[in-house]
Amino acid sequence: MSQFLKRFLLFILVLIVTDQIIGFCLRQLYFSQHKGQFAQTTYAIDSANQDILIFGSSRAVRHYSTSILSNTYGKSCYNVGRDGQQIPYYVAVQDVIFGRKKPSMVILDINTWEFSINPSRYEKLSILLPYCHKHPELVKYVELDNPFERYKLLSAIYPYNSSLFIAANNKIFENKIPSDDKGYDPIIRKMNQAGITYTKKIIAQAKIDNEKKQPKIDSLSYSLYRQFLQKCVDAHIATYVVISPTIVPETPNERKDKLLSITKEFPAVTFLDFSSSPNYNDHFEKFADIFHLNKEGSEEFTKELLVKIGKLPQ
Amino acid sequence: MIFNSVVFAIFYIVVTALYFILNHKYRWMLLLAASCYFYMAFVPVYILILGFTIVIDYYAGIYLEKTLDAKKRKQLLLCSLAANIGVLVFFKYYNFLNTNLSILFNNFNAQTPLPFLTILLPIGLSFHTFQAMSYTIEVYRGNQKAEKHFGIYSLYVMFYPQLVAGPIERPQNILHQMHENHPFDYGNMVDGLKQMLWGFFKKLVVADRLSIYVSSIFDHAEVHNGSSIAIACLFFSVQIYCDFSGYSDIAIGSAKTMGFDLMTNFRRPYFAKSINEFWSRWHISLSTWFRDYLYIPMGGNRVSKFKLYRNIFIVFLVSGIWHGANYTFIVWGALHAVFNIIGVMVTPITKDMHLKLHVNKKITDIVRQLFIIVLVTFAWIFFRATSMENAFTIIKNLKTIGEHPFLGESISNFGHCVLAIVLLFLIEYKKEYLSEKFNFFQHPNIFIRWGSIISMIAAILIFGVFNGGQFIYFQF
Repeated sequence: MSQFLKRFLLFILVLIVTDQIIGFCLRQLYFSQHKGQFAQTTYAIDSANQDILIFGSSRAVRHYSTSILSNTYGKSCYNVGRDGQQIPYYVAVQDVIFGRKKPSMVILDINTWEFSINPSRYEKLSILLPYCHKHPELVKYVELDNPFERYKLLSAIYPYNSSLFIAANNKIFENKIPSDDKGYDPIIRKMNQAGITYTKKIIAQAKIDNEKKQPKIDSLSYSLYRQFLQKCVDAHIATYVVISPTIVPETPNERKDKLLSITKEFPAVTFLDFSSSPNYNDHFEKFADIFHLNKEGSEEFTKELLVKIGKLPQ
Repeated sequence: MIFNSVVFAIFYIVVTALYFILNHKYRWMLLLAASCYFYMAFVPVYILILGFTIVIDYYAGIYLEKTLDAKKRKQLLLCSLAANIGVLVFFKYYNFLNTNLSILFNNFNAQTPLPFLTILLPIGLSFHTFQAMSYTIEVYRGNQKAEKHFGIYSLYVMFYPQLVAGPIERPQNILHQMHENHPFDYGNMVDGLKQMLWGFFKKLVVADRLSIYVSSIFDHAEVHNGSSIAIACLFFSVQIYCDFSGYSDIAIGSAKTMGFDLMTNFRRPYFAKSINEFWSRWHISLSTWFRDYLYIPMGGNRVSKFKLYRNIFIVFLVSGIWHGANYTFIVWGALHAVFNIIGVMVTPITKDMHLKLHVNKKITDIVRQLFIIVLVTFAWIFFRATSMENAFTIIKNLKTIGEHPFLGESISNFGHCVLAIVLLFLIEYKKEYLSEKFNFFQHPNIFIRWGSIISMIAAILIFGVFNGGQFIYFQF
């Protein structure tokens, strides 16, 4: 057994050295990206210090024109939204950014489906792993998925798990990736007839699924939402919670009621709901796909939002 | 507790270390306690079900050995089988049977008198029930002595590496090993760890990666075109192989590190050239279980052609039902039965096809292998589908094959899938056809040997999916 233990320890040593070398290379590749979602996240977490910040998922990234907001207010603006992410991510990023500089205005794009039970919401926090060494405050968020994440971070490769192809692609084809506008990344596309048919099919199916089974509520997401608003209110930041336009009107549901009741706990926070706006519901020409407005739709929406806020005339 | 978790890594290290520290006579206690803990990590109370069947089968075995009266022996065997099958039917099939009964009653404007129960299926129930049944059958047949040591018998049913998803062991292979002393063996330890590593690679890098794409298509089959569905079906074939054989590799490997030899469960089934051969390579412990305890007792192939086809059909139908309480599994089993029967029928025609066609044997072999993959993949549609309706939607949408496929929410995930399949194919091809060459894991040069092992660990860390969750076969 002693022979095995000696060899095993030596093997572990070689493994650790290899892990550190490969991890170093992956880190170099990851942080050398200038374009794409990883680069945007790196900027949001490491550098964002604008006056106006937009938080949210891919819908935030696609729906809020930073130029329009910036020009209207005469202030700097950045969209720190991220594809596929939900409330735990916004809170984590808020924690890091507010530790650096507090903005004067925050727009939080939210959706009721972010409050139903969905384990992938926490699994997706793994995109924060590359930043945990520099920002240890993020560890508590990645541990929402798995309490052992802290220990997995001992590996230098692990934080960059599943990122190699994307990072290499973003690096090699950097010139082909369109630049974002301060985090705003509109979709320049209109749905064709096939897309509309496909979308209608999905909507019909989703309606059937929803009728069959009402999604269960994720209480942790609500408490994180409350935490997000509390931090904004404590820092006296003008805060807007927005449900941006959807292709079909949202039916009343328990998750939305709870979202509204929590928001009402913070009178300084403005809640704006565009999910039943006739300007967008069934206006397929303003959407790029089932979830996202296209460029024209998002610019129209950003202006309409500013009208509602009172910054632009009717 | 699932193998692909940090908790299992800690559990495995602690149990294996304690196993070698402890004196031989106390090891069964450690393994039994560890197995109980392992099982109770799922739904603790279900250990009582295991306890119930263990007690019944333990005493059935002892009385079977003591009793000479053939009639009484048969009654004892039937009691034991009834207890095991009863538990299985109640927990796995009760609601399914009740649903069908209620449909039948509805036709006569009546209601079923039986209530629907909200019961959770005990994890791995079909596996340990079959393993327990093989014990009493073997004792009844006189091929195995009854186990007098209650603890060792309990361990036979509950041995943690194969408790929840096999391999379904036979008492002749494993029971005596539980009495034997297994001193630390360098070779066993290293070989076991290597097999575990290969199992983790299959599960984390291949199966769980493919499952992301497969789920995105199968869960919304009604909106996807034929190309996407065809890719998803093919991916599922690879996913289920890697998921299940990956589990088996981890199970066999972890048992081997403690000196136990579990039976081989998979031998690269997608290289099979006939359906019959496929089943001699796929889930071997279950196929041989059905062969020994169902097919041969019914007469096997030493019967008339009609009875042979009947036997094949029954075995595969039961195999389908064994997998789950859903018509999809029954159809899956029936399809394999039909494929097998047709295979038997056409064997005289297809035998030596290369000579008849005057082509290289390798060509006909490749064609046969591809044909088997297509057949098996088609049958997997029913296995993966959540309902018959879902399965038919998938098949209906397959007709639009040729349209541009959906490559998933993230193109990089699709790239990972393709890479994973290519890597898997290269390794499996080497194992199948070049077993003597490129044995990097066993290479005499330490740099090559360690380099290959470290490369595989690095591949798991770089490309693996670490939140893939349970193994598919846990549900059975």
